[in-house]
Amino acid sequence: MSQTETAPMTTDGRRGDELLVVEDLQKHFPVTRGVIFQKQIAAVKAVDGVSFTVRQGETLGVVGESGCGKSTMARCVMRLLEPTGGRIVFEGRDITKLSRTDMRPLRREMMMVFQDPYASLNPRKRVGFIVAEALEVHKLGTEAETKRRVQELLEVVGLSPEHYNRFPHEFSGGQRQRIGVARALAVNPKLIVCDEPVSALDVSVQAQILNLLKDLQRDFGLTYVFIAHDLNVVRHISDRVMVMYLGHAVEIATRQQLYSDPKHPYTGALLSAVPIPDPRAGRERQPIVLEGDVPSPINPPNACWFHPRCPRFREGHCDVETPPLRPFGDGHFAACHYPLERWPMTADEMRTVREPAAAS
Amino acid sequence: MALLDVKDLKTYFRTDDGIVKAVDGVSFSVEKGQTLGIVGESGSGKSVTCLTIMGLNPKKNTISSGEARFKDEDLLHMSPRRLRQIRGNDIAMIFQDPMTSLNPVHKIGDQLAEAVLLHQDVTKKQAKTQALELLKAVGIPRAERRLGDYPHQFSGGMRQRVMIAMALVNDPDVLIADEPTTALDVTTQAQILTLMNNLQKDFDSAIIIITHDLGVVAETADDVVVMYAAEVVEQGSVDSIFRRPHMPYTWGLLGSLPRLDTDLERLVQIKGQPPSLLNPPQGCRFHPRCPYVMDICKKEDPPLKPVTDDPAHLAACHLDEETKDREAQKLIEGTLAAAS
Amino acid sequence: MIRYLIRRLLWAVVLFVAITIITYIIFFMIPTDPARKACGQLVTPACVKSARHYLGLDRPVYIQYYKFLERLVVHQSLGRSFANRQNINSIIGRAAPITASLVFGGAVTWLLLAIPIGILSALRPRTLLDRSAMVFVLVGISAHPVWIGLIFSWFFGYKLGITPIAGYCEAFSPPQGAACGGVVQWFYHMILPWITFAILFAALYVRMIRANVMETLNEDYVRTARAKGAPESRVMFKHVLRNAMLPVVTMLGMDIALGLGGAVFTESVYSLHGLGQTLVQSLSGDDLPTTQGIVVFGTLAIIVFNLIVDLLYAFIDPRIRLT
Repeated sequence: MSQTETAPMTTDGRRGDELLVVEDLQKHFPVTRGVIFQKQIAAVKAVDGVSFTVRQGETLGVVGESGCGKSTMARCVMRLLEPTGGRIVFEGRDITKLSRTDMRPLRREMMMVFQDPYASLNPRKRVGFIVAEALEVHKLGTEAETKRRVQELLEVVGLSPEHYNRFPHEFSGGQRQRIGVARALAVNPKLIVCDEPVSALDVSVQAQILNLLKDLQRDFGLTYVFIAHDLNVVRHISDRVMVMYLGHAVEIATRQQLYSDPKHPYTGALLSAVPIPDPRAGRERQPIVLEGDVPSPINPPNACWFHPRCPRFREGHCDVETPPLRPFGDGHFAACHYPLERWPMTADEMRTVREPAAAS
Repeated sequence: MALLDVKDLKTYFRTDDGIVKAVDGVSFSVEKGQTLGIVGESGSGKSVTCLTIMGLNPKKNTISSGEARFKDEDLLHMSPRRLRQIRGNDIAMIFQDPMTSLNPVHKIGDQLAEAVLLHQDVTKKQAKTQALELLKAVGIPRAERRLGDYPHQFSGGMRQRVMIAMALVNDPDVLIADEPTTALDVTTQAQILTLMNNLQKDFDSAIIIITHDLGVVAETADDVVVMYAAEVVEQGSVDSIFRRPHMPYTWGLLGSLPRLDTDLERLVQIKGQPPSLLNPPQGCRFHPRCPYVMDICKKEDPPLKPVTDDPAHLAACHLDEETKDREAQKLIEGTLAAAS
Repeated sequence: MIRYLIRRLLWAVVLFVAITIITYIIFFMIPTDPARKACGQLVTPACVKSARHYLGLDRPVYIQYYKFLERLVVHQSLGRSFANRQNINSIIGRAAPITASLVFGGAVTWLLLAIPIGILSALRPRTLLDRSAMVFVLVGISAHPVWIGLIFSWFFGYKLGITPIAGYCEAFSPPQGAACGGVVQWFYHMILPWITFAILFAALYVRMIRANVMETLNEDYVRTARAKGAPESRVMFKHVLRNAMLPVVTMLGMDIALGLGGAVFTESVYSLHGLGQTLVQSLSGDDLPTTQGIVVFGTLAIIVFNLIVDLLYAFIDPRIRLT
């Protein structure tokens, strides 16, 4: 695919410090039909050719609306789901095809924090057990060491060591998410994938968890892949951001670039749709309202996936030719034939496209 | 006389563990064509307040007091029959989760027509026509063909449009929207908020919007009520609340929000958790989490009183004006200490 | 829809073959010899040999099974009984209406009992009515139908004399010399069996309906209906009941199949010569063809009934699409 050639990793000068390299990742779920024998008639292309890198110690934010494939992508990277295609390289080692047994020692290097702090902790196990489980699975330390380590971890995430013997239901949502973070930290992982870790929490508690994640990154040199639908949150925590739409990465850039100079019209529409908590600025905000809904990933649009909803849609081009991820300098990539010339823009300005020389 | 005037509203729930004071003395009013935003975190009592006004709490084990005057009739002390006439006709409500708020076994058209038929003396056919008009007004494509569809055939955003159509079909004076966009994606949220804004201009109704999203409040509301632990802690016009908040909890709320227009290394965090409403703290309910707590805060519940320069802006806090000025200024500059 | 029906029919064939093979295998593992029984008191090797040949038992199992299939498919015949050489089709023809009366009448009875009790106790939880209903549920689940049947028969039939003690009446075209006949008499004779049969299921259904209604009452769309200003009665009938009854319909299909097996207890208490009793007799007489015939008929009945229930379900729940 042409996308992999222009993907950030190859054009980025500083190769060597990548912790995770994902190339052309695909995950298709079959749709079957049949009288007795089920034959595949279609596929839900949940992730369809996503490439990115995560460098040591940085946070890659992944944003997109529900159904864009961001969670599926995370599960594939963690090898909780088997990717349909592509390559996942972790610390220079291709882990795409590793067997369960070969994968096991790597599991302690990459941990996950989940969205729902109520559903992701076993209600019948004590907090100490939940946090210690990974330590025990990987046979790290004696019983006494494990207990000491767990109590240490509980303190690190802002709980008290006395909480060791309590059950999850005795904790509030924010405290449970702290337990989830402690569980992920237990085995000293290099990479933590956070899948919407704060979207179920109230704002004041959300701030506690975001601050905690930032502190932990500073103290332990962690690397995060941070998935969220909230652009404010992603901006706050990320060094670089990837925007996903219908199973594709449509734009990858540093936080500064993405939020101040977005190139893809979808990114622009997302940014303009975020309400601003300031009455004066907020009332003047003119969101670029997209028409309709996200199309079904079973039957995605031809060529550019965004063209049916795009204010900059040009017939005969956007619906014919798939836009590749184009470089815009400094590791900024966007998949659009008619990238935004500047930002901010109003809806009308966005619709008027200056014809690029390449297109005519 | 305001269109809807709520005074000292209290809603207590009897539970096995004791009495939960879900709403404890809330007062506010809404005028025609105005939007009131009620902000607070989960469990602050903002939803229960509106359910009480609508009489939608379970009858059993609920004790409500105070008054909610709508056009000079008290909604809390009227016959169930009269309340049903008002509900869905003069006061309508839309809910947070459009995925579960529509009956899965009835056609959209029938559910819309039901709302018409309950309050207007028209034939089923006329009701369907009205339903169709509203579906068009809220921007459902190919509305004629979609009347016969069932809820599961609509996306989340489209279902919320249907809910809005259903609420507006009888041209209500007051529309209560309980977290109308929380379950939706940001681009869909933009569609729905724009739609509600336009409809308010057309119908000139009063809107009460309940949300935890300060961005949504800032952009849609004229007046704001901030609730914490079943009480109102601050209220006033949206400009004055956002420009000069007078209460540490409001500071915390505003400061804890990561936002696109400022760069903060650390967010202001409010320590601890919201209190249990079974047994709320003595004195000011926010004092266990308040970084500015004084002795008086633990003993006396601060009254909701007007701030010095704005009689319409009320706040409940014992702090002196000087400290408040200083800290609010820090908040705006983004240098408020991350209280931990 | 057509595709769905074809798939269901193909599964029915698979199910049918599997069940009949299992019955054959079980029969050949039981160490008894129907041929010896056929010879009665005069067990001579010659008699056994000829009886064996006559009954077809001297041929390998798979040939017997093949013959059985051939008879069934080509002649639509289930064969003749080992015990009395009667045509099994006509044995079933006589017994099936009795069991059908019992099971379907019983299903109607248990629904008539369970729906109102379940709804009322859901609407008034923790009241006297709710608690009495729960006592009924406990009794209904714990008490055995044979015991209930005997008590009812003794109390209502013998002591009070308001119902027959036992027996069955043909509703339509009673046979010559029958003691009674006609729809009224049929109904009169079936009252006690129905109630006896229904009590266990009614108890289970009260519990299920109560739980479903309580759950549905908490649904968001019920709140929406109230917010529209709908009166309670309308909320109940239009919005709660239909949704609360969806799982009941699914259960009904399975429970009627279950009930077919349980009918034997009620049949034996009230001496109704239905399928259950016939099956028990044929089993104790090593009468393979009759057993097999009833199994085949029962399987078909259950398959057909489940198909009807599934179609009904798709009709009342628009979210189900039959593809």
